[in-house]
Amino acid sequence: MDMSTPSPIGAPVTRGRIVIDDVVKVYDPEGAAVMAVDHCSLDIEAGEICMIVGPSGCGKTTLLNAIAGFHDITSGRILLDNEVLCSAERPKAEPGPDRIVVFQNGALFPWKTNLENVIFGPVMQAKLDRKQAIDKGRAMMADAGLSSVEHSYPGEVSSGMRRRVEIVRALMNDPRVLLLDEPYRALDSLTKSVMHEALLEIYYKNKVTIFFITHDLEEAIFLGHKVAIMTTRPCKPKKVLTVDIPHPRDYSVLTSKRFRELIEETNEAVHEEALKAFQAGEKEG
Amino acid sequence: MAARMGRMLTSRTLWRGVASILIFLVLWEIGSRSKQWMAPEMFAPLKALLGALGFKKDYLPWIGTVPAPSGVLAAWLEVVGSAGYWQSWYMSFFRVMGGFVAAMLVGIPFGLMLAVSRTANGIFFPTFEVLRPIPPLAWVPASIIFWPTQELSITFVTFLGAFYTIVINVLGGARSIDVRYFQAAQSMGSSGWDIFRRIILPGTLPSIVVGSAVGMGITWEVVVAAEMISGGGSQQAGTGGGLGFFIWNSYVGGSYEQIVVGMISIGIAGYFSSELLRWLGKYVTPWLRVR
Amino acid sequence: MELTINSGSGATVDAVVGVLRESTPFAGVPDELLRKIAVIARPARFAAGERVYNAGEGADDIFVVVSGRLEHIFAAEVGAREPLKRVTRGGIFGWAGLLLGQTKRLATVTALEPSEAIRIDTDALVKVLEAEPGAANAVMDRFASMIVREFTVPELLAQVRRLSGEPQPEEMSSLELTLYRFGQWAKSPRPYLMLIGFALLLGAWYLTVEVWKLPRFREMPGITTVVKEWLNPNPVYGLSFYTAEYYTHIWVSVWRIAQAFFLATVLGVPFGLFLGWSRKFKEYVFPVFELLRPIPILAWVPLAIVMFIATESAVVFLAFLASFFATALNTMLGVESIDESYVRAANCLGASKWQVFRHVIVPGAMPFIFTGLQISIGVSWFSLVAAEMVSGQYGLGYVINTSYMMVRYPTIVIGMITLGFVGYVTSALVRVAGDYMMEWRVRELALTER
Repeated sequence: MDMSTPSPIGAPVTRGRIVIDDVVKVYDPEGAAVMAVDHCSLDIEAGEICMIVGPSGCGKTTLLNAIAGFHDITSGRILLDNEVLCSAERPKAEPGPDRIVVFQNGALFPWKTNLENVIFGPVMQAKLDRKQAIDKGRAMMADAGLSSVEHSYPGEVSSGMRRRVEIVRALMNDPRVLLLDEPYRALDSLTKSVMHEALLEIYYKNKVTIFFITHDLEEAIFLGHKVAIMTTRPCKPKKVLTVDIPHPRDYSVLTSKRFRELIEETNEAVHEEALKAFQAGEKEG
Repeated sequence: MAARMGRMLTSRTLWRGVASILIFLVLWEIGSRSKQWMAPEMFAPLKALLGALGFKKDYLPWIGTVPAPSGVLAAWLEVVGSAGYWQSWYMSFFRVMGGFVAAMLVGIPFGLMLAVSRTANGIFFPTFEVLRPIPPLAWVPASIIFWPTQELSITFVTFLGAFYTIVINVLGGARSIDVRYFQAAQSMGSSGWDIFRRIILPGTLPSIVVGSAVGMGITWEVVVAAEMISGGGSQQAGTGGGLGFFIWNSYVGGSYEQIVVGMISIGIAGYFSSELLRWLGKYVTPWLRVR
Repeated sequence: MELTINSGSGATVDAVVGVLRESTPFAGVPDELLRKIAVIARPARFAAGERVYNAGEGADDIFVVVSGRLEHIFAAEVGAREPLKRVTRGGIFGWAGLLLGQTKRLATVTALEPSEAIRIDTDALVKVLEAEPGAANAVMDRFASMIVREFTVPELLAQVRRLSGEPQPEEMSSLELTLYRFGQWAKSPRPYLMLIGFALLLGAWYLTVEVWKLPRFREMPGITTVVKEWLNPNPVYGLSFYTAEYYTHIWVSVWRIAQAFFLATVLGVPFGLFLGWSRKFKEYVFPVFELLRPIPILAWVPLAIVMFIATESAVVFLAFLASFFATALNTMLGVESIDESYVRAANCLGASKWQVFRHVIVPGAMPFIFTGLQISIGVSWFSLVAAEMVSGQYGLGYVINTSYMMVRYPTIVIGMITLGFVGYVTSALVRVAGDYMMEWRVRELALTER
């Protein structure tokens, strides 16, 4: 990581505060009645990286989908900067550019070039005209080291690069929240570690709240300010941990004493839930 | 179970479907009775446009001539009693089965051979691809010249129709078998024959099922056409039989309602045979059931 | 330039290889190549404050730092985002010579403390790399990303040169790519096997009909008869390459197909898109569609003759019907097969429903739509031929049928082969149109080709 660039850690972030308040989600209430989320409450500060860790099938994606506006909730509320996103009265939020999702298997449009993907948001919303969007897009891609793939199609570049392009596509819209659903799950661990550093670098330049779902505890503690360990289905926070390793972080953190201590503290909790999920035969999704 | 049935009956989707079919039948009835639907006068401006583009004035259909659903129903009730109708069913089915089974017996091994051996593929696939664009029906005269009986000639053309589809599907299915299955088998010490029997064959099975369902549809198309051409057309009348001939005969005899009866009968027959195949297919590929 | 490592500096080949491995461009390069590079490297030493080189001087060597710290400042005209950079062990500088058309130093470099480095002559390095094209491209790629990320000068990217002889697929124009692929194909055994296949077919035809005169086979028109007739300026049965009538028939059939296919596409694609996009529409309309679809097209013949006063329209109608069902169904399946994530992503990015339809649904369904179009043109030929055989004048189906009735057997075969050929050409046209409109798919498939 280039240490010669000063990072704007000092500047405070004012938008993107999420409050999850006693949320319950039951699927198919008149039929199978599967409870996915069980009275879950969680506070996420503005500009914070909040990592959600849990075993497969525990319902963490349901939470993300509720925030993004893809699914509804059965009861409880979710607030964004003190506005109600969804509640029992209005169970489904509207998807919008203030909360953008980066999908597990990637959702870059394969029929558009990477640059066209990146400028999609502002152009569709008519926030920028095409030329301005292209200029901004190229600048942001260059910042992330992606200039060489501007005019390639997503199908032609590596999955690591695709993830980065997708993150840039999201950040072009100046969102309040970035929702990441196990984005690095399919990458090998070498690429993953590079992606982590790239993500942090981008984060330091564009402060957004990050809601990051993962099952990888090391990834969670390395990246996050806050780590919420979820129980197996139905999910609720079993343990919420503040990671007091200072930002900016680089890969040397992985071998630091404090990191190892934190892993030890939380490993047992994670393993316990993983075992329960395994015995219940949960399908990962 | 009862609750599920209950929910099905109140399902919006089901009622919408029923409603649309009813609306369709009503429109059809009105159109036929009016004898004016799409009559020349009503569509004068459209016809003028077509005329300006160089199309003949009589381009558009005259729905008024179509027999009404009520008439069709009446004709059907009449025909259901006659033995000739059911004999037509039997004859068409017989030809379809003959051609179809032959296509499977020849097509599946041929397709597998093309998939497994690169040399065989190199030799036979281009020839296959060159012959494929020739529509099966274009083979009818040649088939009649060659085969001693009419039955055989119709069956041959039917065979051709299904054969191409089955081979293409088998090839596609074999190609899409994940290469890791081969690797897993090899690492566990399987012989070439083992791999064929336990990986290629089952792996291609879903495509064979799809191919045969599609092939079945084509078979019906060909049978009907062949029956009409050899039984109808301008050849010897009185021979043939089968549902295609039934339709042609009804046309020649002037009973238009029976034409539609014939059409619907074939539609039903074709639908049932495809469903039968799909059901058989599920039986043969149980691992696909878990979705 | 072919100097070996001076043992006086204490640097051995292994130590050089070790340092090279720590540098961005050479990390991950196989050891033998690193050793070859190490062999052409020379040691260099700088005292604190010593100027290594100035911007504007001739660019000849690349430097890799072994120990110490140096200051690297880009000249203003280079346009680097952050002109000042400090390089330590493993850091590479002085790579300007690797850029196309670049002969002068881009920066001024000074040692901040006593430092050791190795220097590698750029031209010699290029020669070593050219001998291993695969690794060379990986190295150049890493140089490129290093230039962008570490040195923050993305504008220089265009000048990074390609070292290997074999062009990359993305860089070739489509004509070059086609020629390249053709060349590869011609070198493989495939063309010869193909000829064997044809020879077998034609040979069997010739032998069974004309030489061995097998029963049933001898009634058929033989290959020599057909060929003779086809090439006859004065054909016995009236049709050959030389008669105008031949081309009239071809044209009539093709024109009918064109009408049918055009109508079916113009009506079927929007219809299918709608069926896939709007659940309500599908619930109302699909049952009727599925009710009509199983009825074989040819069963419609009498009804079509009854409905349409002009036989011409009836024939086109039948071809159209077949085409329409295939197109609409495949389009609908195409829309339904689009991964939900794409629609969700578009929604997140603020697209309206119509924008989602235009930018996600339609392009996403394109591959299926084009497969559907290929099926539809095949099906429409199928129906057309049948319809022509039963009714109508002119057309290739008509030719085949009447030739049979008038006992003009060789003409039957001429008709069949012509049909096959024309049918193939029209299918190919559809496929080519599809490839042209979906460049992204062609490139994606090229990368995953087994």
